[in-house]
Amino acid sequence: MTAQDTLDIQNLRLSFRNWSGSVEVLHGIDLRIARGERVALVGESGSGKSVTARIVLGTMQETPGARVSGRILFGGRDLDAMSRTERRAVRGTAMSMIFQDPTTALNPVYRIGTLVHEVLKRREPAITAEEARRRGGDILREVSIDDPERVLDSFAFQLSGGMNQRVMIAMSLINEPQLLLADEPGTALDVTVQAQTLKLMRDLVESHGTSVLFISHNLGVVREFADRIYVIYRGRIVERGPTAAIFEDPRHPYTRALLAAIPRLTGGGIPEIAERSDSFLAPMVAHEEVMG
Amino acid sequence: MRILTRLSIRLATTVLVLFGVSVLIFLIARIIPGDPARIALGPRASEAQVEQMRRTLHLDEPLFAQYAHFVGDLFRGDLGISLYTNRPVTTDIAQFLPATLELVILAGIMMIAIGLPLGAISARYRGRWADHVIRVLTLMTVSAPSFVWAVVLVLLFSYYTPLFPIAGRIAETITIPPVTGFMLIDTLIAGRWDGFLSALHHVFLPAFALSLSGIGQAARLTRANMIGTYEQPYIEMAQAYGFSERRIAARYAFKPSLIPSLTIIGLDFAALLGNAFLVETIFAWPGLSRYGVGVILQKDLNAIVGTVMIISATFLIANLIVDLLVSVINPRIRYAERSE
Repeated sequence: MTAQDTLDIQNLRLSFRNWSGSVEVLHGIDLRIARGERVALVGESGSGKSVTARIVLGTMQETPGARVSGRILFGGRDLDAMSRTERRAVRGTAMSMIFQDPTTALNPVYRIGTLVHEVLKRREPAITAEEARRRGGDILREVSIDDPERVLDSFAFQLSGGMNQRVMIAMSLINEPQLLLADEPGTALDVTVQAQTLKLMRDLVESHGTSVLFISHNLGVVREFADRIYVIYRGRIVERGPTAAIFEDPRHPYTRALLAAIPRLTGGGIPEIAERSDSFLAPMVAHEEVMG
Repeated sequence: MRILTRLSIRLATTVLVLFGVSVLIFLIARIIPGDPARIALGPRASEAQVEQMRRTLHLDEPLFAQYAHFVGDLFRGDLGISLYTNRPVTTDIAQFLPATLELVILAGIMMIAIGLPLGAISARYRGRWADHVIRVLTLMTVSAPSFVWAVVLVLLFSYYTPLFPIAGRIAETITIPPVTGFMLIDTLIAGRWDGFLSALHHVFLPAFALSLSGIGQAARLTRANMIGTYEQPYIEMAQAYGFSERRIAARYAFKPSLIPSLTIIGLDFAALLGNAFLVETIFAWPGLSRYGVGVILQKDLNAIVGTVMIISATFLIANLIVDLLVSVINPRIRYAERSE
C-alpha cells in the first residue's frame, strides 16, 4: 500500500529552538495521500498546517532553529535520506506549490512568459524560449485563459487577482508534478473568484492525476475539493476521514466547532465558538476509510 | 512613446531647475563680500582702473541688468573671462572638466561594481561571517568623508608603500596630445598602451578614495532592500520551485531590490562631484573641482558661476539618466498607465 502512496508522513514533529529552550509546534502528525488523491488539512491559523506543507517541500528544514523529526515518504522514497541537492531537485518538478496570494507570489519585475520559462527549465534545463512560450500558451489555455499571448507578455501587476491565480495554477502543473501543495489557495481573492479558480484547479488535477495536499482554514472551501480531510488543532491531528463522513458526522468537538464557524447565508448571526476548550484536546477520531 | 513623454517632462523640469540655480548662484556670488574688480587688479591699481574694470564687468549696473547680460552671454556659449586665469571661462572648463568627469565616472563605476555585489552578498549570507565583515567595513567607509580616505590611502599606498603615484594624471615621461581631455581615452586614441596603463595607475587611487563612502552606502542600501525583498512571497515561491540560492539571489531578489537603491545611488553619484573638490586637492588632480576652489578663493565671479552651473548641469544629467534607468528596470513605472 505504501508504494501506492504519493505521500506518507509518519510521526512528524517540528520544534523551534530559541534562547530559552525549544518549543514543539507539531506533536507527531501522520498523514497519507494516495496517488491522485486530494487531501485537505484544515485548521485555524497557528495550528501547524502551513509548516507541515513547508516540511514536505523541504524549505522548513532550511530555517535556522527548526528541528524536524519523523519520516516522510514521497512516492516511496524517504525524503530525509536525500541530500539537500536531491531534495531541491524534487521541488518544482515532482512537487510544486501554490500560495495564498497569487499577485505577490509572482515576481514583479519579470513577465509571466519569463517566469513560465524559468519553471520549465527546472525539468528541462535546455528548453528554448519559443518552446517554453508554446508550452506556456497550452497550459494557460487549460486554465481557461483565452488570450495566453497577452498574459505571457504581461507582468503580474497588470493582471487581475483571478488571472494571476490561474497563472499560478498553470505554473504549478506545467511540470506534471506528482504532488501539489496548495497553501490556502485564493484566500486573498474574493469568494466568487476563489470558487471559480478552485473549480478549475479541481478539474485540472483530476485530469492530470495529480495528488494534492490542500491547506485551508475553511471547511466550506474544502468540501467540494477534497476526497479526505484531516483536521489539525495545535499541532495534532484531531479527526480524519472521508469528506462526506466529516461533514455528516463530525465526532471531535473541535471539528464541530470548525463546522459551526462557517458563516451561513440563512442568517443566525455570528456563530459563538469557544476560544479554547479542553474538549478540543480530546484524542483523535478516525473514520472508517475506504482506500482506493 | 511613454518613455519619450517622460523624458521630455524631465528635460523641461531640468531646464527649470537650471534656471533657478543660475539665479541663485548669480546672486550668491555677488553677495560674497569683497570687490571682484579690486581683487582682480590687485592692491596697486588706481581707482580709475578699478572703475573701468567695473564697467567692463557690468558691475555698475543694477542686478537684473547684470543677470540679463549673463543669460544673454550664456546662450551664446560665453561665460565671460576668468579673472583668475585670464582666459574665457569656457576654455578653462573645457580643460578641467574632463579630468574631473574621468575621476567621478570611474568612482561611480567602482561604487556600483563593488557596492551592489557587496550588498547582495551581505543579504544572501545575512547573519553569517561574510555579512558581519561587510557590514563592519561598509560602516567604516560611510563614517568618514572621502577626503579622510584620500589622505589615509595616500599615506598607506603612496607614501609608506609606494604602490601608486602620489599625484598627477599620467607619468611625466609620457606626453599625449589632448583630444577629448579624458586621459584614458586620449591614450587609446594615440595608441599608447603604456600611457593608458599609466593613466589607469594614476587615476585608481583617487577614484577609489572618492568612491569609498559611496561603495559603503550602496552596499548597505542594497543589503537592506534585498533583505526586505527576501521577505516577499515571490522569493518563497522561487524557493518552493527549487531554484538554487545563488539563482534566487542573483535573479529573483537582486533586481527588485535594485529599484529603490538606484535612485539613491544616482544621488550619491552626483554627490561625488562635490566630494571631488577635496580629493582633487589632495591628489593634485588637475580637475574642475580644484579649479573651483581656486576661483572661489579669488572671488572670480564669472568662473564661480560657470563652474557651479556646469556642476549643477552634470548633477541634473546624472539624475535624469538614473530616472530613465529606474523606469527601464521597474516595469511598474514603464507600464504605469496600463495597470488599474
